Amino acid sequence: MEKLKKKIRSFSFWNWVIASIIFRLILIYFPNNLNLSSRPEVSTPLTSFRRLSEGYWLKQLSMSPYAGSMYHGSPLLLSLLGPLTVKRIEGQPNHLLYSLVSVIADVVSAMLIRATGQNLQVAYFGTLKSFDLVKQIEGSEVHSPGDVAALIYLCNPFTIVACMGLSTSPIENMAVILCLYGACSRLIPLAAFGWVIATHMSLYPAILIIPVIFLLGRGPDAPPRKLFLQMHQEKGVLNQSKLPPCFSWGPIIHFAFWALLWSVYVLVLCGISLKQFGGLWEMFKSTYGFILTVEDLSPNIGVLWYFFAEVFEFFWNFFLIVFHANILFMILPLAIRLHHRPCYLAYVAVCSMLKSYPSVGDSALYSGLLGWFVNELSDMQFSLFLFCGYVGVSPLSPVMHNLWIWRGTGNANFYFATTMVYACLQIVLVVEGVSAMLNHDRKLRSLITGKPRDAKS
Amino acid sequence: METFNNSKPILLFLLLPCLLLYSLIAFNSSSVEAAMHTNNWAVLVCTSRFWFNYRHMANTLSLYRTVKRLGIPDERIILMLADDMACNTRNKYPAQVFNNENHRLNLYGDNVEVDYRGYEVTVENFLRVLTGRHETAVPRSKRLLSDEGSHILLYMTGHGGDEFLKFQDSEELQSHDLADAVKQMKEKHRFKELLIMVDTCQAATLFNQLQSPGVLAIGSSMKGENSYSHHLDSDVGVSVVDRFTYYTLAFFERLNIYDNASLSSSFSSYNPSLLMSTAYYRKDLYKRNLEEVPVTNFFGSVMETIHTDAAYKALSRINSGRFEAQTSLDQSVHHIEKRMPMKVNDQEETHNIIPEGEEGASKCPWSTFWNKFRKGENVDTLVNYGLVAMIPLLVISTWLVQ
Repeated sequence: MEKLKKKIRSFSFWNWVIASIIFRLILIYFPNNLNLSSRPEVSTPLTSFRRLSEGYWLKQLSMSPYAGSMYHGSPLLLSLLGPLTVKRIEGQPNHLLYSLVSVIADVVSAMLIRATGQNLQVAYFGTLKSFDLVKQIEGSEVHSPGDVAALIYLCNPFTIVACMGLSTSPIENMAVILCLYGACSRLIPLAAFGWVIATHMSLYPAILIIPVIFLLGRGPDAPPRKLFLQMHQEKGVLNQSKLPPCFSWGPIIHFAFWALLWSVYVLVLCGISLKQFGGLWEMFKSTYGFILTVEDLSPNIGVLWYFFAEVFEFFWNFFLIVFHANILFMILPLAIRLHHRPCYLAYVAVCSMLKSYPSVGDSALYSGLLGWFVNELSDMQFSLFLFCGYVGVSPLSPVMHNLWIWRGTGNANFYFATTMVYACLQIVLVVEGVSAMLNHDRKLRSLITGKPRDAKS
Repeated sequence: METFNNSKPILLFLLLPCLLLYSLIAFNSSSVEAAMHTNNWAVLVCTSRFWFNYRHMANTLSLYRTVKRLGIPDERIILMLADDMACNTRNKYPAQVFNNENHRLNLYGDNVEVDYRGYEVTVENFLRVLTGRHETAVPRSKRLLSDEGSHILLYMTGHGGDEFLKFQDSEELQSHDLADAVKQMKEKHRFKELLIMVDTCQAATLFNQLQSPGVLAIGSSMKGENSYSHHLDSDVGVSVVDRFTYYTLAFFERLNIYDNASLSSSFSSYNPSLLMSTAYYRKDLYKRNLEEVPVTNFFGSVMETIHTDAAYKALSRINSGRFEAQTSLDQSVHHIEKRMPMKVNDQEETHNIIPEGEEGASKCPWSTFWNKFRKGENVDTLVNYGLVAMIPLLVISTWLVQ
């Protein structure tokens, strides 16, 4: 019976995967990819397809790809994806090859998410077994986090829109997920590679170093270590082998070595390709400098464009520091509180609220990663509110944009309202998620120690 | 000690390319004629004003029309006219200028771009245009931006005399002024070949003093002869065209941009009895045979196109130290704007002309690879190889660590 259930579940999983792939392929054949690549929610100055082809064209004319402040991505992407922007096949829609690359990136990301989720599931069951709690949860519905997360990632409308909008976010997401997969499965060169590539392409995945260190040092998500000690105190059995391993520095050093190696490799390649155009400093100025200084104030799904349009230039530096440090300041305390759950920490890091140029590709990533914690977060408050909020904001945002820009009957405040709501939803999601996770830990503790504690919300 | 003995052949090794470079520079400085013909310019000057000099303006506008028809764009034409005919109160056909009494062609039609009009047509401005010595505020459309690959047509019409040309009834341009200006142009490499065509009385005297090589000059009449107008248009009330220009146009109206009628056929088409003067041309300063020179070399804009497969390389790509330091965006645009021929530019040209085999003195494959790498030809393939090599490296490292 169990086997049949499992078989049915896995069968329907692959069904969904194939259905989503077919759906994307159908969407490719719509004219002009439904003009999704011109939506500000999809294409930002960092991920836009038009800017990528402009950078490639400039490169072909032997000019610096960063000339004219159009392209702000990695020069390696130009060599990889650049030729795809111009390749045309007779009778097929434009940019077929590029869309196929995005689809493949999505599928690979989904498979990696699934593998990581399975890792997490194994670890979860392992801890439950060591707490002798398996019987208690067997009755209730336990979903496989890998499958759920992979399906959420593939079938999420945000992901599909980001894929069809020809942005570079599927590839950035793939790099982030590769890093997390490598860290979960203890494949250190892979994790280092993913981290270096993700940081190289956009700056914010650099913060993933903290969860990755915890993942490599300790292993995937597990209840806090002191719970184990408490349990053994209670039960009086001291079985060393069942204890989770102590924090080990060896893999960290290994990771540092490989990260250094890969970053030197990537920087050397970038330096070679940009040798005549100002070298690495030009690249850093145009990519990281552009992200950090928020030069481009064209509307997107974030809030910084409106904010910096109304703030006096005198205060820009201050507010830039505040916004960018916000991400750091959010991660550090959470790292202390949730150091035993590094994958969740990675999820929060990926959320990167108040980014310079967010797009739906980012929300695709963290929605997908949310699926890993479907068991722990099953009691999250406001889940319906958040879901309805996202469903409501997604069509409203293009409508407000249309009202503002094309019809002229609205103004920037209309659009900014939807982006503010989006940012609020993101914040509420993270906050509620963290509290739900802490509640889950408390429940585990109460189950183990037998003393009921008040579940603080 | 050992290294010193070893360094001697290395020093000789390094000397050879230096010698080669020096010989290249020497070769280059002696052969400026190696410059290719790259563009055509036309400077059309009408030096008269007032209604009764209608025909001079019609002459100039006819040449303007011909030159445009045969391919020279407005950016390459400097048109200097008093421009007081078309809207003159005595003009029965307002905003229209004809060069024939059949009124078939309105010369002042759709897109006449006059660069110097009215009282701006002075001897000083004319000489400034020729020599390129303008005030800084003069716009580009009023400058003769030619370089050492330009063929320039200089056409002047008006009232002239023995070794002078009258400008706007108040000044005169003398033949030695003109010769001086042409000499300056030659010094500054402002033209490759220059054709001066003058339609005034005693025109041939105007270029008596010319000495610069590469100049061809033709005048409508010789010393002591007058140039006459062709016919009077009784409707407009004045003569509408001069004979020399009329027969020049008769020659050119038969041509289109693809014809390669030679200059000698053009020059020999002038019949002294019809012109009522002798059209005299001076070709002692011009080295080429007039039979081989097509008229479109001066009157049109037909050039040899060279097809290359390589991508277009912007101006500052050759690897000399100064250029590499200036390759950020602003400077590279600035370099394209600056059209002064620089020493390194000449080196670039000779590099293009001399075949590659003579360049590197060493036959070592590494140094040729390094040369190519420095020039930036193989950068893209190198980066692609690097990217492709990343994947097996990743796979191997992951597999090994496992």
